[in-house]
This record gives sequence, C-alpha cells and structure tokens, in this order.
Amino acid sequence: MASDAHCEKLREVGAELALGVLPGRERAEAVAHLDGCADCREYVRQLTGIGDRLIGLLPDAEPPPGFETRVARSLAEQAATAPEGQRPARAVQGRRSRARRARLRLAAVATAVAVAVGFAGWAVGTAVEGAVTASAPATESEPMLVGDVIPTGGGQPIGDVYAHPGSPAWMFVSVSFPGTPYTGKVTCLLEHIDGTTTRVGEFLVREGRGHWGVAVPVDLTQYSGARLTSPDGTVVATAQLQKGKVVTPEA
Amino acid sequence: MIFRGGRAGGRAIPWRPSNVYRGVSGIRSPVGRLPDEALLSGLATGDPELAEIFVRRFQHRVFGVAMAVTGDQQLAEDVAQQTFERAWRHAQIYDSRRGSVGTWLTTIAHNLAVDAVRARRTEPMAPEDLDPLLEVVTETPERWALADEASSQLRAALARLPREQARALMMAGIYGMTAQQIAEAEKIPLGTAKTRIRAAMAKLRTTLTSLERGDHGE
Repeated sequence: MASDAHCEKLREVGAELALGVLPGRERAEAVAHLDGCADCREYVRQLTGIGDRLIGLLPDAEPPPGFETRVARSLAEQAATAPEGQRPARAVQGRRSRARRARLRLAAVATAVAVAVGFAGWAVGTAVEGAVTASAPATESEPMLVGDVIPTGGGQPIGDVYAHPGSPAWMFVSVSFPGTPYTGKVTCLLEHIDGTTTRVGEFLVREGRGHWGVAVPVDLTQYSGARLTSPDGTVVATAQLQKGKVVTPEA
Repeated sequence: MIFRGGRAGGRAIPWRPSNVYRGVSGIRSPVGRLPDEALLSGLATGDPELAEIFVRRFQHRVFGVAMAVTGDQQLAEDVAQQTFERAWRHAQIYDSRRGSVGTWLTTIAHNLAVDAVRARRTEPMAPEDLDPLLEVVTETPERWALADEASSQLRAALARLPREQARALMMAGIYGMTAQQIAEAEKIPLGTAKTRIRAAMAKLRTTLTSLERGDHGE
C-alpha cells in the first residue's frame, strides 16, 4: 500500500533490503509495500544494482588444480544419473524466470527493469574457429556448425547460429534485426542437404531481438542451413552452416 | 533485476544487466566467439565437454567471489562447485535480458558463499580480512582500465566514502552481515550501523545515477 509514511520507511531500509540483509519481519513489510509502490520498486532496483556491482568488484582468483575437471565430471555424472524430471530443461530462452516464489512476487519489478542488453554476455573465453582456416587446436575441441544469419535480400549479418551435432544435439540462434521493433514469434527451420526442411520450433523476438537455445533431435550434420520465417511464412533470414570447432583459447 | 531476499531458502537470484558488450554478431576473431548463452544452453544438455569449457570460462570469477566471502580455500572450492551445479540445474531459468551469464553465476556464488559462512561460523568475517578486501575493491590500477565506466566510477566512489561507511557497506554487501551484526562488530549502536549502510548506498547511487544521466562531471 503506497503512502508517504510507508515510502519513508522503505527509504530507511531500502539499502538493507537491496543488499539482502534486512531481517525477516522488516523484509516482509518492505516487500509488501513494494508490491504496491512503483516508485519504491524503482528505488530498490537501483540499490540492488549497486549491490550487484559491488560483488562484481571482487577480484578473480585461481581455483585449485583440477577444479574444472572435477566439476565438469560431477556435472556429467549428474546429467547421466538424474531422473528425467530432475534434469535441466533442454532449452534456454528468455523470459523463463518464473521459478521462484520470491521472484514471482516481484515479477512486475523484473519486467520493469528488463534491460535491452540484446545479446549481452557474449563469450570471451571460447572461440569458434572455422574449419577452413583452423589448425588443430591444442586444447579440446568440439565439432560445431556455425553460420551468420543474413536477412532476406542480403546485407550484413544480423545474428549467429551455433549448432552442436553431438548427442544430444542442440543449437543456439541469435538475431538482431536492425531498426525493426518487431515483437512476435519467428519459426526456425533447418534446411536438409537434400532440400527438405525440418521445423525446429517457434521463438520469441522482442523489439527486433531474440535468441534461443534448444535441443534438436536430429542429425545436424545432415543439415546445411537454417531459415527464419515470420508467422505468415515469409522467410526473413537465412544462415548457411559451416563446420567449425570450439576451441578454448589460452588464457 | 530483483533484490536479494532473506538468506533463508526461497531467495530470488538476481542478476544485473551486463555492463560490457563483449562481442559482435558476425565477427569471429580469430573467427568467432561462442556466446555464453550458447554454452549455457549446451551445458543444459549434459554435454561433458561443454561443461568443462563452461567451467573453465567462469571458474576464476566464481572462485574469486567464493574466496573473498569465505576466506577459506576448501570452503570456497565447495561453494564454487555448488555454484556450477546450481547453474546446471537452473539453466532453464536464466534470462539474458536481466544480465550476463557471468553476473548470474557471480550472484549465485555470492549467495551460496554467504550461506556457507553462516552455516559454519558465528562470525561472518574475520575483522582483519575487511580492510585488505576494501583496498582491493577500491584500487584503480591499470588492469581495471578496460573495466566499464560504471565499475570504475563505483570503485572511485567507494574509495571516497568515509572509512566507517565503506566498512559497513562491505560488511553488508559482501559478507551479508545484518545491521545488528555490524553494530556488534564495530561496537556502535544499531541505528548508527543502519545509517552508515544507508548513507554509503545513497552516495554510490548518486554516482551511478549521474553516470546514467551522462553527467561525468563528478
């Protein structure tokens, strides 16, 4: 319930709330107020951002030798032994953060602060190296299919396709249509080398941007390209897939 | 972005917007970069090689956070491992529009580290650890030159805070200490501890708000 008195109280405890150190009852009262006060939500959002950035200032540190191997092995073992219902979903896609009750309570906040970072978080540690130019990397490699997404009619690439033909096979697509505020679904199709197509699924593009990762139960090595179509079937972009390798560059 | 909730179960795991755009579509130099999101997507499929690449990419960041909070190599390793396991289990709820994969992992690691310390120790931190860490996060050496401007400004603003406010902020924001715990550690009244946290955050907010408005004249 928004009111000056409640807002004033919120401003007193907002920093502790944002840093996650406000004790239970005060926290509950503050959260209840946030449900009905957009101004205070914005205030806490800003403070939360500061708290996040503060954590981001902490220095990196060298883990013990063999750490990555141990963790990777643990993950693989869990993946192999976990019951189907306990395995992670086979898709990573935007707007799926609905898992936690606490987050649900503040879904409006989440929506309000969804920042148009586009395809932020591009990797710095892994490169996809084209097969044509690649010499065998010293570090582990992973066969991949990669391709630029080209808009219909030609032009500069507007996205990428990465397809991993292993078992399970999966692919990741990102697009950013320049100057297109389109929000809606696009259909992704894989183009078989024999000319037929396989529908991968429908995915959301928001304000011209979107990305998705999804498991694909097909032999990806038999596919030479991908295409994106609008809901009316118009092909809006295509990608030619080429073989590549995932290599981990030297630190 | 969602605030961190209480330390007990059911917390929201927030992540902030990425502050560095680290790649450009179509450029693969040497030939290209595999997006973090793509790697996370692959991780969710249970591919062991991708898991190792994913861990290798983020392990220094995750372990750094865990080590800073716990101050204990073994505990930090446990926290770091749990972080990756949690990321694997919850890969499907990652939403890149709220921030980078790295930031998401960092937040998970921080929450787990604070919880781990609370479970093992009555004191959330060793007093002698605070000042060195404060020095680290406020230094602005050349190696931070490539950091985004907001982070640089935050370091500078943190360095300008009165020492007692910076300490209170670090205790709360990094070590997860409540105002009551800070009051006891610093031997100050509870109200004073709360005021220090609030004042510190207000100053940092002013700095970052000015930056967002394009006011660089601070």
